[in-house]
Amino acid sequence: MNVTVAAKFRVCLDWTRANLFSSPLNSVLTLACACLIVMIGIPLVNWLFVNAYWSGTTPADCPDKSAACWPFIRARFDQFMYGLYPDTERWRINLGMGLIILFAVPLFIPRFPAKRWLIPVLIIAYPLIGMGLFLGGHFGLTYVETGKWGGFFLTLVTAFFVLSTSLPIAVLLALGRRSSIPLVRICCATWIELWRSVPALVVLFVAIIMFPLFMPEDLEIDKLLRALGALTILMSCYMAEAIRGALQSIPKGQYEAAEALGLGYWRRTFLVILPQAFPVALPQITSNFIGLFKETTVLLIIGLFDLLGMVQNAASDPTWLSPGVSATGYLFVALFFWLFCFSLSRYSAWLEKKSLLYKTQ
Amino acid sequence: MTADSMVSRDVVYQVILLIIIAAVVYLIAATTQENLARLGVDSGIDFLWKRAGFEIGQKLIPFDAESTIARAFVVALLNTLLLAVVSIVCASVLGVIIGLARLSRNWLVSRLATAYIEVFRNIPSLLQIFFWYFVVLRTLPRSADSIEFFNCIFLNNRGLFVPAVSLGQGWEWIAAALFLGWAMIYFLRRQQRRRNVASGFTRPEATETNLLASWKLLILAGVVGAIILVAGAHWEVPRESRFGYRGGIVMMPEFLSLVVGLSMYNATYIGEIVRSSFTSLPRGQTEAADSLGLPRYLTIRLVLFPQALRVIIPPLTTVYLNLFKSTSLAAAIAYPEIVSVFVGTVNNLVGQPVFIMAITMAVYVFISLCIALFLNWYNRKIALTVAL
Repeated sequence: MNVTVAAKFRVCLDWTRANLFSSPLNSVLTLACACLIVMIGIPLVNWLFVNAYWSGTTPADCPDKSAACWPFIRARFDQFMYGLYPDTERWRINLGMGLIILFAVPLFIPRFPAKRWLIPVLIIAYPLIGMGLFLGGHFGLTYVETGKWGGFFLTLVTAFFVLSTSLPIAVLLALGRRSSIPLVRICCATWIELWRSVPALVVLFVAIIMFPLFMPEDLEIDKLLRALGALTILMSCYMAEAIRGALQSIPKGQYEAAEALGLGYWRRTFLVILPQAFPVALPQITSNFIGLFKETTVLLIIGLFDLLGMVQNAASDPTWLSPGVSATGYLFVALFFWLFCFSLSRYSAWLEKKSLLYKTQ
Repeated sequence: MTADSMVSRDVVYQVILLIIIAAVVYLIAATTQENLARLGVDSGIDFLWKRAGFEIGQKLIPFDAESTIARAFVVALLNTLLLAVVSIVCASVLGVIIGLARLSRNWLVSRLATAYIEVFRNIPSLLQIFFWYFVVLRTLPRSADSIEFFNCIFLNNRGLFVPAVSLGQGWEWIAAALFLGWAMIYFLRRQQRRRNVASGFTRPEATETNLLASWKLLILAGVVGAIILVAGAHWEVPRESRFGYRGGIVMMPEFLSLVVGLSMYNATYIGEIVRSSFTSLPRGQTEAADSLGLPRYLTIRLVLFPQALRVIIPPLTTVYLNLFKSTSLAAAIAYPEIVSVFVGTVNNLVGQPVFIMAITMAVYVFISLCIALFLNWYNRKIALTVAL
């Protein structure tokens, strides 16, 4: 018994020597890192948990401003999730998000049988159902104006709406950029490069300030819809580049073989080329989607309150105003974004690994 | 289908497309003109020469309320460029350090770097900027209780105050001397490298020329120092006055939080690029360097880094472009860069959205193009050429 313990200890010691103290420089680095962890970690844990205020829901429950103030989150949690959506109508959001999960989860499972049919349903039908459900105004549902949408709900709606509208446009743009017709090629390339070189914020301002001038006087388009349109234009250009890259990776023989079978351009593209290109483009599309998800925070600058906007708004309420409250709020938002983006990036990495394995087999 | 009919079909498609584009552009232009006329906006870029009537918090060239709007545009543009350049430099330095730390053989160092990347990459950059601005910099002490470093750098809730080199008379001479020194070092090094390549011997030659070069450098440094002394340049240290610190360089809190937020966020991407480029190099390169007895830092500097650089540049271009574009986030905390000054203040003042948006977009497209072209040129320059 003693021998095995001693042996294990020996292994541990060897590992430590090899990985942490292999040279004087490494020893110094190890100690410096350990110092850093202790110096940042202990105050952080104290701030977050030990000294933090946990109970209650009013500003009076966090008297000391130098620790995390969880009552702030508890008091405003519903606002952070649903924005100013009326209390009695929130079941519609829950139902809609439930449907998203119901439809979306099978997509992430490899070898799910009816995937081919699920994608068009998700891309075309879901935004319509979602909009009908969230906006209301018919079938006995009360109308909820988009000005009241906000919080994490708005973040999710933006991300999924823009994803589903930009993908089909992106496919067309990518095909256009590789078209044999010179004018189509030039137009698509210019369009893509123009929007890719401009920040999202500027595109949003174009939609908010300039777009109303392009439209006839009596036609007024909802602010949220304009913002979503702007993000769609932007995102479709990024996605188009991802798809174009994938199209380039398809061997020329595939095109030639499809042509030899007598398939026309569209059947060749949609039956032979795209089904092969899409899996190749998927990791890049996922990382673009992660970027889009993070980019939705920009909406708060043009006055649409997404999750970060809601928290920012609540933290500037004079009854709560303090750096401790702001920090708690930001940390809460960061946690949400981090969980979402981290799991998506892991998924994307797994996909890439899988496709590499598939290729080497 | 014959080749002839395909060509004629293409021509028909192009004509149809051209007609559609022309129709859309005409419709939009006509409606816009009608709308502008209805709103009573006289379009034209004359507004650029009007009196600005507002102040800008940070300016690299003289500007006040009496200046023209065109000058405000230049001030804002310079602020954008300053923010972009400083953030790009900081992000690159931090990114290379993080990337190399991830590759370290030290377990703790590489794990810490991984944790840094995974945490900061998955949090929106705007949120990080808000955190630094509204939480960290807001909680700094007031001007009277500033945090001091070496009695010449001061940090308080009004910003960071650092000493500045105040160039007196004849700063042109200093600039000329510095440029000359830089040119000399450049040509010496190039000459030395050529000699090394030609002779095939590095060590004896290198030490000799290094010694020679360092002597020359020493003399050069002396000359530059003398010129600076003669020209009467001196350090301008910030000093406390009744209204806060005066003198030196002031970095406003908005600028600081943007630089910290943008650099820390984009450094994660640069770190990943550095790591993946190093791991993409064949193992034989490291093993060959090891068997030659090169120490680890020389292996990285002389063998791995020059090769990794070729793989690094293309993805790095994307990161730099993204960073440049995200300087527009500054509008959220009112740092006076191009979006907040031009699209915000000036547009509210003169109500010329069409020209203002067009100019703003043109600026971003132009600078993005410049960054992309420069890095593509650099990439071609360091690419492996067949005739070595």
